[in-house]
Amino acid sequence: MIVIAHFIAITCYVAAAALAALPFARRVEAPVNGVIAVLAAGLIAHGFALATLMRESGSGSLTGLGPALSFAGFVLAGALFLVEVFAREVSLTLIAAPVAALITTAGNVTGMHPFLDPRGTQAFWLVSHIVLSFVGMAAYGTAAAAGTMYLIARRELKSARFGPIYRFFPPLDTLDRVNHFATVAGFLGLTSGLALAGAYSIAYRTLVVPQLVWGLAAWVCIGSLALGRLLRGWQARRAAIISAVTFASVIAVFVVFRVVQFNRGQFL
Amino acid sequence: MSLVVAGVNHRTAPIAIREKLCFGKPDARSALGLLRESGLVTEAVMLSTCNRTEIYMIDSSDDSVQLIRDIFSSRLGDEASTYMYVQRDREAVRHLFSVSAGIDSMILGEAQIQGQVRDAWEESREESGAALNRLFQTSLLVGSRVREETGIGRGAASVSSAAVQLSKKIFGSLAGRRAMVLGAGDVAAIALECLSKEGVRVSIVANRTFERAQVLAAEHQAVAMHYDECWENLHAVDILLCSTASPHPVVQCAHVAPALAMRGDRPLCILDIALPRDVDSSVGDMENVFLYDLDDLKAAASANLERRNEDIPAAEKIIAAEVEKYWQWLAGLAAVPVVMEFRSQMDRVRAEELASAMRRIGGLSAEQAEGIEHFSRALMNKFLHEPSVRLKAAAANGRGLGVVDAARYLFALERADSTPPEDKS
Repeated sequence: MIVIAHFIAITCYVAAAALAALPFARRVEAPVNGVIAVLAAGLIAHGFALATLMRESGSGSLTGLGPALSFAGFVLAGALFLVEVFAREVSLTLIAAPVAALITTAGNVTGMHPFLDPRGTQAFWLVSHIVLSFVGMAAYGTAAAAGTMYLIARRELKSARFGPIYRFFPPLDTLDRVNHFATVAGFLGLTSGLALAGAYSIAYRTLVVPQLVWGLAAWVCIGSLALGRLLRGWQARRAAIISAVTFASVIAVFVVFRVVQFNRGQFL
Repeated sequence: MSLVVAGVNHRTAPIAIREKLCFGKPDARSALGLLRESGLVTEAVMLSTCNRTEIYMIDSSDDSVQLIRDIFSSRLGDEASTYMYVQRDREAVRHLFSVSAGIDSMILGEAQIQGQVRDAWEESREESGAALNRLFQTSLLVGSRVREETGIGRGAASVSSAAVQLSKKIFGSLAGRRAMVLGAGDVAAIALECLSKEGVRVSIVANRTFERAQVLAAEHQAVAMHYDECWENLHAVDILLCSTASPHPVVQCAHVAPALAMRGDRPLCILDIALPRDVDSSVGDMENVFLYDLDDLKAAASANLERRNEDIPAAEKIIAAEVEKYWQWLAGLAAVPVVMEFRSQMDRVRAEELASAMRRIGGLSAEQAEGIEHFSRALMNKFLHEPSVRLKAAAANGRGLGVVDAARYLFALERADSTPPEDKS
């Protein structure tokens, strides 16, 4: 059941991206309601899969590489859904939905086996840390996606090319706002998630070095970006470049850690 | 009966001819009155815009077109038939639907024509009847449907609207954005009007001649100044519109660089609609400057027009289906007076034959006479029911006016006025 629900969710994410890409293939407007509905269906299926996994594993834990990646995909798709519903703008789906599908697929390929099985307060603490951290990472991903789109759209506008990107992408100002909001939200989410992780490590005397290094690296990156935007007034192009480059670096570091470390069942 | 459109448009007549044949409201009313009084036309609507003057009519004689030619020629002071076109029946319906959908417009898909069609119909209501009322009502629905279901009206199609669209692609909503304009000519005024409609606040009008700047500035509650004074205010505006008559570029990197330094990362959109260009092309290479000249704006507009062109087949498909629907309705409507005349003629024959029979038989009681009268009516109704139903159905289902004409001929109903009755609704 978990695998089937995941398969439905992945299919829906890919379908949402395909629907959002329609204006590139045919001269039509993107079906905003259609994209949102398909994405919502994917989220329902994905939520069902994760709930079933938690029920079957007998705890609230989302630990383990597979469940964690699946949850990351779920949160990213959820963040995308919220942006689309409020902005009535689906071009972000082109980047974010395939990423959500890819992460979820990776989680399923790895295997949906929880790594830890904590109970009671410990489980609640751990789940809170995971949820907040992934919300932070999803927002960071959204900021990076918006930043990447900003750079592409800006190049098209600067060079006065009036092709599909000019027609379909939202205004530069909108992309900049999404980047700004997602950066701040990501920073808050990741800060809270890491604070909970720090407290958890002290309380239960557990320390996972790769997680600590990677989490801190991600936090420093998004923290610099958020502070740059809020305090130094970074706008538009600079923020777009930094968010895209740092997010890509954070993902690259994760991949490197996954390749070199031996504890295969854990997220890191 | 025939549905006819006769007129001139931007394809058949140059602007010098079209402007002479442009009818104001009183002139249009009197021309339509003339047509009605001639007895050749039973309904008429005139559509007169800067791109076309057309008369749609339901005529009962071919002479009606000649009368329109005479009206046009008299207004033109010359022979107008060289510039005129005439279309009949389905083609006339198709023509109006295409006009309303913007397919026949100079700028493909432009929306203004739909309002003009509505106004023309409203203005001519006294002279129109059921057939033209339905035709114009349907044409407005067809226009809306085409615009909703195809991309024929999407995207900016003129230089001014392309300028607005490009600015929106940078800033999103333009409400509250500030603009500065260099030059105070007519072209600048038109472009500013477009930007103002989107909520852009024109804050500075700079011109070589200060007095001209003052006039345009007063219209937009802006500050007028000379070129030399305006650069220090450039940092405060988001859009710079350039439309001077200068033979050399008036905006150089040296003018823009200090403003950019003060603006931080905020983008500056420069719309150069002057010819020769007002802005040195190297300004466009500067960070956060989005520079568009006339060619760029035309390219943006023509990209949209290309897209609109691709939607013509889809629009024509909708129009073709609606033409058939309207035509079936009209043909059904044309059958009504024929059926009425047919029944009335048969009833006259029945009454005459009945009176004659009564005279021959004689000595019938009132009750018996009434019985025979009732019998004759019932018999006639039975005989006429099926032909009446079939005539209406044949006219309405596409076999059209041919069947109606055949019935007219067979039953000697040439006198029947086939013009549809007034629309009581």
